[in-house]
Amino acid sequence: MTAHRAYVGIGSNLGDRRANVEFAIDAVAELGAVARRSSLYRTAPWGNRRQPWFLNAVVLLETELAPRPLLDSLHAIERTAGRARRERWGPRTLDLDLLLYDEQRIDETGLHVPHARLHERAFVLVPLAEVDARFAPMRDALDASELAGVVPAEREGLAAMPDVPTFAGERVRALAQFLAQSDAVRVRIARGDDDVVEIVAGAARAESPEPSTPHSRTETPAERVDTIKADLVGIFHSSRPSPAAGEVFDADRELGYIEALGIRTPVHSMGAGRLVAATAVDGMPVEYGQALFSIVRGA
Amino acid sequence: MIANRGEIALRINRACQELGVPTVAIFSEADRESLHVRQADEAFCVGPGPVGHSYLNIPNIISTALITGCDAVHPGYGFLAENARFAEICNDHGLTFIGPKPSVIALMGDKATAKRVVRDAGVATTPGSNVLSTIEEAHEAALAIGYPLLLKATAGGGGRGMRAVNEPSELARAYASATAEAEASFKDGRLYVERLIRAPRHIEVQVLGDEFGTIVHLGERDCSVQKPAHQKLIEETPAPNLSAKARDALHEMALRASRYVGYTNAGTLEFLSAGDDAYFMEMNTRIQVEHPVTEMVYNIDLVKEQIRIAAGEPLGYMQKDLVARGHAIECRVNAEDPRNGFAPAAGTVSKLVFPGGPGIRVDTHLYAGATIPPYYDSMIAKVVAFGDTREVAIARMERALRETLVEGVSTTIDFCLEILASPEFRSGRYDVEFIPARMLVNGRAGQPAAR
Repeated sequence: MTAHRAYVGIGSNLGDRRANVEFAIDAVAELGAVARRSSLYRTAPWGNRRQPWFLNAVVLLETELAPRPLLDSLHAIERTAGRARRERWGPRTLDLDLLLYDEQRIDETGLHVPHARLHERAFVLVPLAEVDARFAPMRDALDASELAGVVPAEREGLAAMPDVPTFAGERVRALAQFLAQSDAVRVRIARGDDDVVEIVAGAARAESPEPSTPHSRTETPAERVDTIKADLVGIFHSSRPSPAAGEVFDADRELGYIEALGIRTPVHSMGAGRLVAATAVDGMPVEYGQALFSIVRGA
Repeated sequence: MIANRGEIALRINRACQELGVPTVAIFSEADRESLHVRQADEAFCVGPGPVGHSYLNIPNIISTALITGCDAVHPGYGFLAENARFAEICNDHGLTFIGPKPSVIALMGDKATAKRVVRDAGVATTPGSNVLSTIEEAHEAALAIGYPLLLKATAGGGGRGMRAVNEPSELARAYASATAEAEASFKDGRLYVERLIRAPRHIEVQVLGDEFGTIVHLGERDCSVQKPAHQKLIEETPAPNLSAKARDALHEMALRASRYVGYTNAGTLEFLSAGDDAYFMEMNTRIQVEHPVTEMVYNIDLVKEQIRIAAGEPLGYMQKDLVARGHAIECRVNAEDPRNGFAPAAGTVSKLVFPGGPGIRVDTHLYAGATIPPYYDSMIAKVVAFGDTREVAIARMERALRETLVEGVSTTIDFCLEILASPEFRSGRYDVEFIPARMLVNGRAGQPAAR
């Protein structure tokens, strides 16, 4: 497993912002493992002051996805969130930015890493510096007036949280709290027989804030990540049992189907591999070219 | 659902927003960064850039409408707007097609059939033949009608499959090349022949009909400023230098033909006009590019009217309630190089300034930094000027076009300015051969004569 470290910025300024951001963190966790997450910050809108305020956060994702498939997956999450609340017409409910990817510099159409807004925006740097101390000097260099616009959102509800929260977002939050207090290096979470998530975190990471460079990890040359995309517009339905991140298939596996105009078109894994990310949500509309699954080949 | 792209997709979205109707846009992969995608309430990618895979991809378009819970489909112009089969498929899936009934689209969509139908309604058409199946039939028909002639493709549009024939000796060669071109462009090589009216004006009449039998006209538009291949460049209303008698006759013919076919929603009847005579040419069963000039002088939102009519509302007014005021002109800003035969220019717009001020309206999907994909129509903006008189409208248009700045691609702006400054346009005495004639004088393709 060759994990890359990606920092993802999350923002929402519409609807139930907290639920949107928690949904995003859960969904991003499906793309690998969320090693760290920042607190939630209430942020004054940048630019157009008449927009509603934002709720922002940053997570450190450890993922096998290359930058482009990761970005595709983030877009897919944005679109899913935008449509999950059908009563809310209007601006997008969720904004996901790929801020950093290892130490890479990428300048391609629609894909700019480090993200252009990284160095100048308090709503990115404040949460980012919280999860990675290397960015504290950059944060501190910002205008006081800008920093004043970004304040920690109150963390209501945490104390009353049950031991086993039913809400996926709450589970992540409980985990984050646990990680903050423990010196665990590796945590394994299982629900039933599937949905296994492995998280690398804790004190060991905090003591060595130097991020790993791409070269420090051994890459298997034959390994590549394929993104399975929708080739028609319709409603996606998962196969049963539903494909879960980590699942390995030796041969082609039907991952689900897209239903359009009463016809079901199967979605295949296109051969053997290991599923590293499932961005398709059962029962949700998908558009042409939308990222559904990411699969590692030749692992 | 807005089943289109570009400025007309924005135009439809605006009407929906003002009516409080939520919208779903469709887009191709090449249009991901396009404005209509951002402004609609929802947007779905329906395929890759080439139109056959996206904006003409009926299964993906219908599927998008169904899974997003759309009630109605507005086709805009071009693409699927005059496809009777698409209208039928919409209706079969419980989606209201915003336009006339599929049977009327089919009837008026075939040019030869449409002519026969309006002739039955008592409307003048250019003397012409039925659909021809052989060159012998063409010779026979030509003899009956008389030279000069125009060979036209029955499925035609945009001047493709069209040939002027001055004398019998030219007919065979023209027939062969026109049928080949029509076959290549429309997968339908059938031709018909009609009398060639020399130096006519292209004048069209806007109609609106509701589902309760009320049909009104909203005046005429003069679209005689056309590039080679009969592509409109500048349109105005009312038509200049048209006698009251000729104007009334045009309106009356348009109403008569529309009533005869039971026309509903917005439509346009195109006529060739020469002196006080006018001949029905074809009907466009959709909203047209140049509809804003009519909106300006009648103070009516035609796209809203289309939606209201499709929703089963009565028009709520009669012909006598409609009074036009002032004069309006539209210039099409195309990403084209007029000095190179109007070759389409794709690219990225680096700087962009659009005009404003009294009497100016700009319909565009362009923004600074926008990329113009190579797959679609080259029109990037419509600049519309309104004035109490034609002179005021022209003056406003000239200053508006001078205010306009589009950097990164070549456009038709300067070319339009030259047309506006010409004595032919100033006097309102121009016809469809005006631009080609000027270019001929200059001796270089695409360049108007210097004055």
